[in-house]
Amino acid sequence: MNKYSQKLVLSVLLIAVGTLVALPAAAAPDETAEQVIRKLEENQVHETARSEGKMIINDRFGEKVTTFKSWAEGEEKTLIEFTSRQERGQKILRTNDEIYLYFPDAAEVIRLQGAALRDSVLGSDMSYEDMTGGKGILDDYRAELLGTEAVDGRQCYKIELNAKGRGVAYPKEIIWIDTEMYVTRKVHMFSLSGKLLKEMRIQDYTTQNGKTFPVRFIIEDKMKRNSSTEFVIESIEIGADIPASRFSIEELTW
Amino acid sequence: MKLRKIAWRNIRRNTRRSILSMSAVAIAAMTFVFLFSMIEGMKQDVAYNLQTFVTGEVRIRHSEFEKYKHLNPLHLGIEDYTGLTARLEEMEAVASISPRIKFPTAIYKKGNTYRAQGQGVDFEHEAEYQEIAQYVVKGRLPRNGENEVLVATGLAKEMNLDIGDNFTLLTQTRGRGMNAITFKITGLSHYDFDGLNSSFFQAPIDRVQYFLRMDNSVSEILMKLKDDYSAEEFAARLDSELAGWGRPQLEARMWKDISQTYSFVMMADAIYFIIALMFFLLGSTVIVNTMMMTIYERRKEIGTISAMGMTGAEVVRLFFLEAFYIAAIGSFTGVLLGIGFTYPTTIYGLGFSEAMQGVDFEMSTVLRPVLNLKSTIFVFIYSTFIASVASFIPSRKSAKVEPVEALRAI
Repeated sequence: MNKYSQKLVLSVLLIAVGTLVALPAAAAPDETAEQVIRKLEENQVHETARSEGKMIINDRFGEKVTTFKSWAEGEEKTLIEFTSRQERGQKILRTNDEIYLYFPDAAEVIRLQGAALRDSVLGSDMSYEDMTGGKGILDDYRAELLGTEAVDGRQCYKIELNAKGRGVAYPKEIIWIDTEMYVTRKVHMFSLSGKLLKEMRIQDYTTQNGKTFPVRFIIEDKMKRNSSTEFVIESIEIGADIPASRFSIEELTW
Repeated sequence: MKLRKIAWRNIRRNTRRSILSMSAVAIAAMTFVFLFSMIEGMKQDVAYNLQTFVTGEVRIRHSEFEKYKHLNPLHLGIEDYTGLTARLEEMEAVASISPRIKFPTAIYKKGNTYRAQGQGVDFEHEAEYQEIAQYVVKGRLPRNGENEVLVATGLAKEMNLDIGDNFTLLTQTRGRGMNAITFKITGLSHYDFDGLNSSFFQAPIDRVQYFLRMDNSVSEILMKLKDDYSAEEFAARLDSELAGWGRPQLEARMWKDISQTYSFVMMADAIYFIIALMFFLLGSTVIVNTMMMTIYERRKEIGTISAMGMTGAEVVRLFFLEAFYIAAIGSFTGVLLGIGFTYPTTIYGLGFSEAMQGVDFEMSTVLRPVLNLKSTIFVFIYSTFIASVASFIPSRKSAKVEPVEALRAI
């Protein structure tokens, strides 16, 4: 997942709900890839937010629904607390690029690092690694405009991103950005060998206070057979009053 | 009667050569007393390890579990396992039962992550099933209902942990979510089966059920049977009865059908049998050679006794008896030497810890050969038979010696 798609995931989870997207802007036909991406990133407004939603995981064994609450401050501080019966009380804290896990029956907070970051979040198609990152897309990737294509009936810029270094989860990505709304419609994430690893499709956006943000999207891990995860935001409060201590490790356990 | 006396006297006529011939058979017999004891020990060892730690003599699982085992399908478990174990315990054939939950996990300690294999067990059941107390080398067994754990020495060493220390493990739950829990180490275990020493721990089944959100289910139930019962027949009977008990999704299988390891050992046993044949034939060549030399040396004698009225068949029997006595004495001596050499190893065992490191095979690092009928009486009969049959060919040559031709050489 590139930095934008990571932010998008986070925004839907309200891990970084500051990822609000501006309403339709005029599309310039001769825009470069960099210009399109900058417009995309300009649409990301960093605010505090509180939300509730659910994650619907479908795999070969059936459907599983996990509900959650989340709090976010800017792009790099997020806290998710799971509320469904099986996971009640479990929390994920993200500060910058660090991921901490809290479990009610564990005496210590687990800091994920290394290969463990590639583990799936609650069996979903999203990994913990997908939740990290906070810098701009153009800091980590070289962008190339491949042309325009229709996605779900919407005309999109098709942009290929190639990593400048090794510090990213996916060496190559292709993103489809709506030519009018400057929102992402689809993302393909590839391995170094060019194998398609994940696909993300944004199915629904909503508008609040003149801003547009994604409220329903699906991630498919192509390495898993018959597997997909749908994220749905059911309520959201932008600009919520959240104390800074909410995102500290000390407060994670209360 | 006379032939036997003559044959015996002839053997003693050239003692050195006879002893040399016997030695060849004796060495082969001694070698195979040891090797057959080894393979028997290996069979018993692998069977014990499989039945105690891996498959049981008979195992009950969800019929779909094997298909998805690489995905850790805890949801394909045995519901209301206590109801089922109560029913199994009433069965005449069942000697002991071990309900288990096996799960891969990541252990987090002091910022490091260790991969490990966890097992939820009922320590009261395991006291009988695997006589688990014998494997505790330090501390004590965990108590059911407590967040306590028995850790393999290798894993404890790798994590630099000891009795009284805590660690937190993270794993996938039955609902395919994640959960973590902290356990306290109350005991360290060490097994001869090295596969259980490197990354293995056991925790009370009720606590494992709790944090894996298993309710009253387990992933498998292992059973050991009383001596008089056949695992194959019992598994087949139980498998058909499970559906009648309202559990059509479960299956019962016997241990030999589950693991291929025992099949490999059985294959090795068959191969050893063929190798033994080759060894005995090789040993027999010395007897064959001796007999051929003897026949050549005694052409004059053969001519004389033939001229005196001994038939060709009697001459053949005479030389065959000589070869048979040499083979029998050699085999008997070899078996005795083999028993003498093997017996101490049946008590003290042979160490294979370095050879077994990293080998995924259910064999103990200390192997104790087992002396039995096959490795003693069978080896004696087998080696005597092969050597005797091999010597029959030169014996037949003795009948072809013409008395007139033989006497002409005088």
